[in-house]
Amino acid sequence: MIPSSLPVIVATAVLTLLAAVVLAWGYWRGFFRDFDAQARVIFEPEDLRLERPWETPVDRLEREMRHGKLVAPAPGEWGGAA
Amino acid sequence: MTAPPTGAPSSDAAALGQENVRAVAAARGLAPEDLDIRLRADASSYTVVLVLFAIAIGWLLIGSIFGDIASLKLHWPDFLTRQSWLTFGRVRTAHLHAVNYGWATAALIGTSLWLTPRLVHNELKSPVAALIGGALFTLGIAVGIIGVLLGFSDGMEWLEANRYTAGPLLVIGGGLVGLSLFRTVAARRAAHLYVSVWYILGAFIWFPMLYVTGKWPTWTGVESAAVNWFFAHNVLGFWLTAMSVGAAYYFIPKVLGRPIYSYQLSVVGFWSLAMFYSLNGMHHLVGGPLPTWMITTSIVASVFMFIPVVATGINLHMTVVGRFGALRYSPTLRFVVLGAIAYTAVSLQGSFTALREVNRVTHFTHWTVAHSHVGGYAFVTFVAFGAMYYIVPRLVGHEWPSARLVRWHFNTVLAGIAIYVVSLTWAGVAQGLALLDARLPFQISVERSLPGLYGRSLGGLILTVGHFIFAWHFWRMVRMPTGAQPGARPPFHEAQPILYTDEAEAGRPQTFRAAAHSDQIARAPAAHDGNVRPAQGTS
Amino acid sequence: MTRISLIALGAFAVMASAICLLVLVPQALLRDVVAPPQLQPYTEQQLAGRQVYIQNGCVYCHSQQIRDPAFTTDVDRGWGGRATVPGDYVYDKPHLLGTMRTGPDLINVGQRLPDAEWQLIHLYDPRSVVDWSLMPGFPFLFEEKAPNTVQPADRVVRIPGPRAPRGVVVVAKPEAIALVDYLVSLKRQYPVTHPTSGGTRTAFGGRNATH
Repeated sequence: MIPSSLPVIVATAVLTLLAAVVLAWGYWRGFFRDFDAQARVIFEPEDLRLERPWETPVDRLEREMRHGKLVAPAPGEWGGAA
Repeated sequence: MTAPPTGAPSSDAAALGQENVRAVAAARGLAPEDLDIRLRADASSYTVVLVLFAIAIGWLLIGSIFGDIASLKLHWPDFLTRQSWLTFGRVRTAHLHAVNYGWATAALIGTSLWLTPRLVHNELKSPVAALIGGALFTLGIAVGIIGVLLGFSDGMEWLEANRYTAGPLLVIGGGLVGLSLFRTVAARRAAHLYVSVWYILGAFIWFPMLYVTGKWPTWTGVESAAVNWFFAHNVLGFWLTAMSVGAAYYFIPKVLGRPIYSYQLSVVGFWSLAMFYSLNGMHHLVGGPLPTWMITTSIVASVFMFIPVVATGINLHMTVVGRFGALRYSPTLRFVVLGAIAYTAVSLQGSFTALREVNRVTHFTHWTVAHSHVGGYAFVTFVAFGAMYYIVPRLVGHEWPSARLVRWHFNTVLAGIAIYVVSLTWAGVAQGLALLDARLPFQISVERSLPGLYGRSLGGLILTVGHFIFAWHFWRMVRMPTGAQPGARPPFHEAQPILYTDEAEAGRPQTFRAAAHSDQIARAPAAHDGNVRPAQGTS
Repeated sequence: MTRISLIALGAFAVMASAICLLVLVPQALLRDVVAPPQLQPYTEQQLAGRQVYIQNGCVYCHSQQIRDPAFTTDVDRGWGGRATVPGDYVYDKPHLLGTMRTGPDLINVGQRLPDAEWQLIHLYDPRSVVDWSLMPGFPFLFEEKAPNTVQPADRVVRIPGPRAPRGVVVVAKPEAIALVDYLVSLKRQYPVTHPTSGGTRTAFGGRNATH
């Protein structure tokens, strides 16, 4: 299963090492920190305050407490027709 | 009706990028840099995204028709045999190119061009380059397909488009789009680069590398087979899948209003996809005349694909879990979530199919074609549909005109792909088992696959109906007003995004909102004459 | 180095390593593949026929490879006497290995069905000789001439059975003749020896390319 050819092994090892070095360097430089903030980059403040019709009252309360007063969505906000 | 506000371009200039942004800002009495970033991003990508979506839908219809013709020929072999340009071997290739390089590519590039400005919190840079690039790429695909129909093929599956006529158009076109994207990301204002941007950037680095490798003119013999399937499989993973997964990572949390389940998993998912997917391609040649170690490497990599697929699957699924009710309210979620599920399914199916024991039965059969449609349709196309349902309203400034057409579209394509996949998989297994038994004449494998082939034609025709429904709806969307707004509206290439706001009155930051109540419409009649103005009573 | 460079470099490196491993390294190893002495290069007409095969997408229904008899039943089915090896494809540019068997494998069809007349009839209308066939006909590779316009040099094809066209004579165009010439040349039955561990240049390619 493992190729018996030396060039194959060396080439694979070198390039895998290069990829690993790049990733390690990125980690050391702090690119992989603060994941919560990274995950929230997609949201405008508005998004998190929109009333979502599928949410239970408990969900809504939780959302209101966390993000502030809920706002009605525009018609077709979720990608459909009104 | 068509007199533009002061400072905006004339209405026939098809305002692009910066001009569009300036127009929107001027209409609201703001400097462009003070305009809400979301509006600036959308305004800058407006023209190129809508044009690419229109092109994509055109290819979807063309590709569907080619696909139907090819499918009918397989069980009615005397259908349309007189003309050389309609022979199965050419029509099948035309279908593949039209749906993958035409529809899926244009739809996903359009989605990426809309997503990237939004994610980097800046406008799309070089939108004219992106538009020209999209047009050149489309022309290249058309040249390739027409060439194939006329009998000019470079001979390798997925790479048939002539390298001297179509090739330069594809390379320059793709390069211009890539330029626009990279410049946009380089000009980012967001503090972080969201995972979707990595997928999009990755796609635009990987595809050129794959294409150059695949089209290099010196390959011969079995090495050309290795290169062929290196390209063809990786174009799925590193081009179509990359942009589709990137889109799913955005739309699912965005609509749900919850961040993705585990951002760490998305890092794992991205890099392990890159590492393992690239080694998969030889699994199309299991048992073939290639060094065993290459094929074994591919089988091992195919099984290792579990890691990125499970990581992405967990991420997308766990974000939705507990909120599946949202699918009832959001066509975007309906399509994208089902697409994400299909992604997990097709990848696990792929890992399974690569194992030698399974491959013995499925290789060379219709199973593979069915599998490719789970990926290319139930995953990629569904994600593209979901993205378009979300994006287009934000560009033209009003919701889709007809809930019924949305529902019909969704129901038809869901039924169509289900019938397609089930019939063809069944045909493939029956065919494969018959082929494996040397006592059975070849004829048996053909006869046993026939019922499934009829089923596939039925599924395909239903899909085509769904596509025409969607195309019709898109046409209505960009040309006509919604019921809520009286009076005629200018066609989309002249329209500015029309936004009403009552928050400007209270001095709070303005946001994209269509009129939620009829009294808001009554208060802003001036907005209907094609100009963009704030609601009456605001500055 | 910004984060974009990180992503770009990482993405590039991963793909470059894959290209090295699965494209460049095999190419280096397969450079040692030599054509078996019994395999002749394609003649010009056969190459022209091969182009017709490519142009009309025959590869999308027909494969051209025999798999190991220990693995599966290609040999038992009578499609070849042995598994095909890299050396069998040295003159194939590009390959036509295929991934579908809607129709039978063709790598040894020149052995199974060497009769050019049968091949021409079958190309014109497969169902006139194989009634369960799903293969499309290729009438555009032929001319249907009025009987009194047939030239002595024309390659007339006599279509048998009730499906034969009435009132015309079917004459093969050069493309059809070339295609059949190519098909009939497809034979890979000569023996190839497995390389010894000492390694010789063989049809398998290189010293340790296969095991």
